Amino acid sequence: MDMKYYALLTTGLVSLATASAAQQVELDLWTIDDPGEYHYVMADEFMEAHPDIKINVRTVQFEDMVNDLARGVASGDAPDITYIDNPEVALFASRGLLLDLSEYIEASDVVNAEDIFPGPLSSVTYEGGIYGLPRGANTIALYYNADMYRDAGLDPDNPPSTWAELYDAAKALTKPEENVYGLAFSAVATEEGTFQFLPWLQMTGGDYNNVNTEGAVEALNMWKAFIDEGIASPDTLIRGQWDSTGTFNAGQAAMSISGPWELPRMSSEADFDFRATMLPAPSADAERASALGEGDNVILASSDNPDEAFMFLEFLMANMDRVWNEFGYLPASDVEVTDPKYPEIYAVFEESMKYARNRGPHPEWPRISQAIQGAIQSTLTGQASAEDALADAQSRIDRVLN
Amino acid sequence: MLVFKNTFRDGVGFDAILVTLALGYLVLFSAFPLVYNLVMSFQEVDLFSLASFDRPFVGLDNYEDVLTRTEASSIFFNTVKFVGISVVAQLVVGFALAMFFQLDFPLNTWLRGLFLAGWIMPALVVGAVWSWIFAGDFGVLNYMLQALGITDAKIFWLSNPDVALYSVIIANIWLGVPFNMILLSVGLAGIPEDVYEAAQLDGASRIQRFFTITLPMMRAQLGAVISLGVIFTLQQFDLFAALTQGGPANSSNVFQYWSWQLSFQYYEIGVGSVISVLMILFVVFVAAIYVRSTRHEQVM
Repeated sequence: MDMKYYALLTTGLVSLATASAAQQVELDLWTIDDPGEYHYVMADEFMEAHPDIKINVRTVQFEDMVNDLARGVASGDAPDITYIDNPEVALFASRGLLLDLSEYIEASDVVNAEDIFPGPLSSVTYEGGIYGLPRGANTIALYYNADMYRDAGLDPDNPPSTWAELYDAAKALTKPEENVYGLAFSAVATEEGTFQFLPWLQMTGGDYNNVNTEGAVEALNMWKAFIDEGIASPDTLIRGQWDSTGTFNAGQAAMSISGPWELPRMSSEADFDFRATMLPAPSADAERASALGEGDNVILASSDNPDEAFMFLEFLMANMDRVWNEFGYLPASDVEVTDPKYPEIYAVFEESMKYARNRGPHPEWPRISQAIQGAIQSTLTGQASAEDALADAQSRIDRVLN
Repeated sequence: MLVFKNTFRDGVGFDAILVTLALGYLVLFSAFPLVYNLVMSFQEVDLFSLASFDRPFVGLDNYEDVLTRTEASSIFFNTVKFVGISVVAQLVVGFALAMFFQLDFPLNTWLRGLFLAGWIMPALVVGAVWSWIFAGDFGVLNYMLQALGITDAKIFWLSNPDVALYSVIIANIWLGVPFNMILLSVGLAGIPEDVYEAAQLDGASRIQRFFTITLPMMRAQLGAVISLGVIFTLQQFDLFAALTQGGPANSSNVFQYWSWQLSFQYYEIGVGSVISVLMILFVVFVAAIYVRSTRHEQVM
């Protein structure tokens, strides 16, 4: 290569570099947050640190995210980065719509796949690739009203740790004459119902692909007993976790199964000593499981600026230790949270996170989830026995899997 | 040129433009979606192939799939119950109210106007209000029934599978009565007073007058109200979304909500389209009956 040509090339490169420095890179970010929440706060901080990158944040309703993304992909208007709920990652990854981050993570000084808890990591993993980074996590535990425990002669320092103990405690705490139910949970026919039931199934050795098990029958029959015996409200069938826990906060249920998102409201509404313990297991030596909620930050394969997009994802991961105190999620990776809010309850959720398992992954997760919801609902309404309902669910799930 | 101008102003050309505009609108906003929906019902469609025409044709597979599902027959009968009971009750109550407000008493037109309040409210808001009324543990209705000593135990209006569908029907009747009442009031006002006077002179009783004058003279309005009622009731979606989401265990699910669930919750869009095609066929059938029954009448 002659000298002159080389010089020309160098000048060309230099001018190209200055041009791109002056020109801002724009990233589109879709989120389910409202202004003032996680993605908006983080995007502002990131832009302050990187003035050459501009992030346009847009709020999409949680229920509309999948439809809007699919439309965006079809019409070429997809964002660079988006939030996706855990079980939907497989749907988009299976279509090749998400950027495989494996190589980026390998090269990164900030992100270590080993630091991410197994549940959240599995939620972003699809057929060997890593298609996103969890923005945080949540899981469920058993909240209980310690004052009601004392009134009922139960020991609030010794909450139920097995299903049998949970049943006995709930039964003892139920006071129909005072309109108090022993337990609030959600068996609604939406993803929330699956979210609440799956850990019960997983603790007995089953999972989404193997629902027709003895353990699942036992769990469903116990749920049915809760409703039939008036331990939990029949409205459990149509109420989500937020509304169910609302009855706990109002003193109309003595225990509630739900997640950390309840805490801000609970601490302002509940005028009693509320505590939390891990979700009871079928027996003292049974394997543990818990639900895995929250979502992931993913980069779309169509992004023009994947490097800058990954820089933002790195930035989010580096701030994982802040999510509990500032945004109410549990950290999805092994970080030290200094001076956590609600320290005792945080400790319970932090421990539960170790057992939190992903839903799926499967690209047709909603259909699998629907089969599970169907089994829950037809058992609890008495339309079918738990055995028949689960056998039917299994055959529906098999049709999806095969 | 002049010829063109003239035809445009008051000749064939102007007519053609009017027809084209109307037809163009219909093709774009009615025929295209209908045909698109029909095509999708024969194809395998998911979220990502929604915008492209190039999708695998599966023949009648979608139809077979959806009609053989265990929940299909119960959802069908729920739909029949929902439409049948809603339309009949809306008609009876609406007719009775319309006749009531024909009576001459102070503020009658005023009060009739207030009845429309329910109709102009968004159905989702109505649904939210009814969900407080129907709430099992702390609902207004249960409180009233127990306070009045009508029931001892709480009725779980929305979560008892034997009751949930009827709760949605009650809310829907409430929602549809004002519309029925207003349309029928207009019809009643159009019946000349002297016909009644003549009948009264001939000694016809109130009941005879109702069956021999009011009902026959209202034929066109009744036909319109019934067919519109069927169509509106088949479109009722918001109440299901707000009250029961079709549950528990599909006990209050109906075709229109199921179709949406299949398409947009489980992303089985081809199968969801099958339901809407079947519903369209039924609505066309209803519309045909309506047109037949009123074609020799002077339509409103």
